[in-house]
Amino acid sequence: MLLRGLTWLVLFQLLGTALNHLILSILPGPIIGLVLLMIYLMVRGEVSESISLAASSLLRYLPLLLVPPAVGVMVYAGQIANDFWAIVGSLVLSLMISLTFAGWLMQKLIDRQHTEHQPNPREPS
Amino acid sequence: MNLDWQGAWLSVIHHPLFGIAITLGAYQLVLAGYEKTRWVFLQPVLVSMLVVIGVLVACGLDYAEYRKSTDILSILLGPATVALAVPLYLNLRRIRQLFWPVLTTLVIGGVLATGLCVALGWVLGADHMILMTMAPKSVTSPIAMLVAEQIGGVAALAAVFVLITGVIGGIFGPGLLTLAGVQSPEARGMALGLTAHAVGTSAALQEGEECGAFAALAMSLMGVATALSLPLAVSLVA
Repeated sequence: MLLRGLTWLVLFQLLGTALNHLILSILPGPIIGLVLLMIYLMVRGEVSESISLAASSLLRYLPLLLVPPAVGVMVYAGQIANDFWAIVGSLVLSLMISLTFAGWLMQKLIDRQHTEHQPNPREPS
Repeated sequence: MNLDWQGAWLSVIHHPLFGIAITLGAYQLVLAGYEKTRWVFLQPVLVSMLVVIGVLVACGLDYAEYRKSTDILSILLGPATVALAVPLYLNLRRIRQLFWPVLTTLVIGGVLATGLCVALGWVLGADHMILMTMAPKSVTSPIAMLVAEQIGGVAALAAVFVLITGVIGGIFGPGLLTLAGVQSPEARGMALGLTAHAVGTSAALQEGEECGAFAALAMSLMGVATALSLPLAVSLVA
């Protein structure tokens, strides 16, 4: 079951890679694969057990898969040290501000949509 | 009898499985530590990375060799990205309901995340190459590397900035959102995926499936939007 699901995921990624090479060089293969699998699932109208199993198993280990590329930081230690404060300052500050702002904005928009479309008598405001 | 200890040691650390062993070991150690203490700084990716770097430096191994021996893990990142379609699909109904909030947040939040970073870097005196490399820091690394190259940055360094951004987002993101009173899983996921890509998405998946789905959605939308609009924006400004 797991293998069959994994095979599907790999197939979609390879399809994405082919499309990336042929027409969409700006988007990486895996992202095109994601869109294709999404379309496939929408057409089928359900997620087969094998794909769901393979997807949840892989996604559970997503942080582990990100470790090897992360270790690449060691190669650029010198360049990062040169511009250290500019880099860290702008990355950290812009992330913290934009992340908080995006969350706040989305929350406000959701709340507004709720009060417009489905007034909930239990929640005054 | 004279045993060749040094030879044995060298053949162990240069074995292709050594990189896998330290990665798996470090990751499980950090996870176990996190389960015990619930300490936010034990962000799995960041701390495993530090442990692995420590071991590599202590053994005198370089990154190229480690990277080669962990190819099998990196190659699974592709199918794992494709797999994000599943939580996305399962939450499609919810996402359709919130179409306009998602789109508005994507445009305003995305422009803010990219623009603010470049502006701050410029004020703090980073040079042009670094600025162009930092601009795509909020998107998943394969896209960021492509885009950085297109607009005059360095691909490999872009991957590093993407990672730093993701790790900081993974550590502080959930806390910041709680401080700002952002409670709904949709908004938390959206913010995490939009600004901190895959690492933010994996943090969001830990909060729950709905949160993870919105993070995956935000990550892919932000990736596509950045790939299409950032090179255009840079060519207009320059």
